[in-house]
Amino acid sequence: MTKTRTGLGHALAYVILILMSVIFLAPVFIVLFNSFKSKLYITSEPFRLPTAETFAGLENYFSGLAKTDFFSAFGRSLFITVFSVAAIVLFTSMTAWYITRVKNRFTSFLYYAFVFSMIVPFQMVMFTMVKTANALHLDNLWGIIVIYLGFGAGLSVFMFSGFVKSVPIEIEEAAMIDGCGPIRTFFLVVFPIMKPTAITVAILNAMWIWNDYLLPYLVIGTDYKTIPIAIQYLRGGYGSIDMGAMMAMLVLAIIPIVIFYLFCQKYIIKGVVAGAVKG
Amino acid sequence: MASITLKNVFKIYPDGFTAVNDLSLEIRDREFVVLVGPSGCGKSTTLRMIAGLEEISKGELYIGDRLVNSIAPKDRDIAMVFQSYALYPDKTVYKNISFGLERRKTPKDEIEKRVMQAAKILDIEHLLNRKPRALSGGQRQRVALGRAIVRSPSVFLFDEPLSNLDAKLRTAMRSEITKLHKNLDATFIYVTHDQTEAMTMGDRIVVMRDGVVQQVAKPQELYDAPRNMFVAGFIGSPQMNFVDAVLRNKNGRVFAAVKDDAVLLPENEKFKALPDGKKVKLGIRPENIVTEKERFAPDEPVLHGKVDICELMGSEVFLYIDCKGTRLTVRAPSYSAPKADEEVFFQFDRNKLHLFDAETEEVIR
Repeated sequence: MTKTRTGLGHALAYVILILMSVIFLAPVFIVLFNSFKSKLYITSEPFRLPTAETFAGLENYFSGLAKTDFFSAFGRSLFITVFSVAAIVLFTSMTAWYITRVKNRFTSFLYYAFVFSMIVPFQMVMFTMVKTANALHLDNLWGIIVIYLGFGAGLSVFMFSGFVKSVPIEIEEAAMIDGCGPIRTFFLVVFPIMKPTAITVAILNAMWIWNDYLLPYLVIGTDYKTIPIAIQYLRGGYGSIDMGAMMAMLVLAIIPIVIFYLFCQKYIIKGVVAGAVKG
Repeated sequence: MASITLKNVFKIYPDGFTAVNDLSLEIRDREFVVLVGPSGCGKSTTLRMIAGLEEISKGELYIGDRLVNSIAPKDRDIAMVFQSYALYPDKTVYKNISFGLERRKTPKDEIEKRVMQAAKILDIEHLLNRKPRALSGGQRQRVALGRAIVRSPSVFLFDEPLSNLDAKLRTAMRSEITKLHKNLDATFIYVTHDQTEAMTMGDRIVVMRDGVVQQVAKPQELYDAPRNMFVAGFIGSPQMNFVDAVLRNKNGRVFAAVKDDAVLLPENEKFKALPDGKKVKLGIRPENIVTEKERFAPDEPVLHGKVDICELMGSEVFLYIDCKGTRLTVRAPSYSAPKADEEVFFQFDRNKLHLFDAETEEVIR
């Protein structure tokens, strides 16, 4: 039985939720208002809002853009994220469909291999992965997409498989009778049904790939800097850091992913629930 | 031409389970054939093999005079209606119906004409822009039918299409499908576990059990002359009564001894040839047990028992009678029916008795 919440309980819940939002949002706001302060004041009084004296306008933004070659980094990050996410969504949805519909030892092995890959920490495979990537000439912008496909596949296959199990096979059989071969069945019938899960998978992967620092740093190094690496390079030699420019670039870096998230957020809950609930 | 011929068809799964065992069947062009049987009898598997959704392990399947064993479902000129409707959830009703035509590269204006025509037949014109989730069960079923008829295939396959509907809607859709068959000039193969559907819809009924065809006959013939105890028990509601009996041959007349009573069997040379003392099962349908005294035959023994339960159905009652340990179901007119716990006298209508071999369960006729 569900209990009706009392006024006091309601208020308490609100207080807790507001406190938690503050804790989660505070770092973002600190970065945001510090990006408008002149760099001297960022280290001396990091938690104070900008005043007439400390306000630096867009100075940090201009200096950051100049120092980091931000737009090239932005382009690279966008390229890697878009193509990696597209590859992950396309290939893992097909894989999940196949291993869910074709039941044999090989496909169950594949499924468990994908699930297992989720629990292996990146640091464990880091060294061998970089060596392999170099040997296979994957240490470039195209190659890293293949590596992201590998790292993103575990969770994505797991999520898509959960969803495919809830799709009645009769729908696919109806498509076969209606004149579709396996490829048309997938693209015209199965994939459109998977859309909420595909969007969830896209968002989850886009967020970590966009923000990822270590993998591009290890694989493509500093020849082709992505945004996180470019920002890191604001840390100059001998410990000198241009905090103002760094804050400004961090703000610019999170804007695209926040917009993407806001556009798609209604699908996230749908997609997560879709595999679990029948009907 | 869309006759369908199955020649010694087997479906054997990799684990060795035989779902369909040596099935041979000829379905004539434009015939309405119903495959009926309990769950797991192989009826759906047979339908799916005809559709091409299951591979045929052994045997031959012809649609018309074309061997189609290895032909893809889309090239068999069939349409199928599924139990779960299997509508495309992301597409509108219009798109659901037109999808098959689009795949076959039908011109756009032709598609529109045919979709509207199908929608009109099924009275779903006002639903064409909705998605399946916004439809009721009955409406979804109509859309599924629309998707099938729009392509004008020569064979329609139905896999328990009415099972998910409530009783009232089921009756309505039943007559609609029958009407559709009359109007469409196509061969219909219909799978169900519901014997009422089978009896009311089919030109011929195929009764299956454990992958084996038990009998293929017209509905009335199946009801009047079942080939074995399984068919006799499966077709008819309430089901046929079976009574253990022993044959007695006295002065050229054959009786079936049921406990202390003896029921005279109709004149039949086959009965006479059976050995005295042979164990048999008497089969008698509930409506062939007479409880009204004025209808009793004078030279027949009158049996008696106690009414356990009396189910009033309106115009008639079902009496569940305990006759010396044997449970009998009787269908009687409600005006003359005894009440529960009352003693009741009855006779078997001799001409409607069925005699089955107790060992083989086959009919003796």
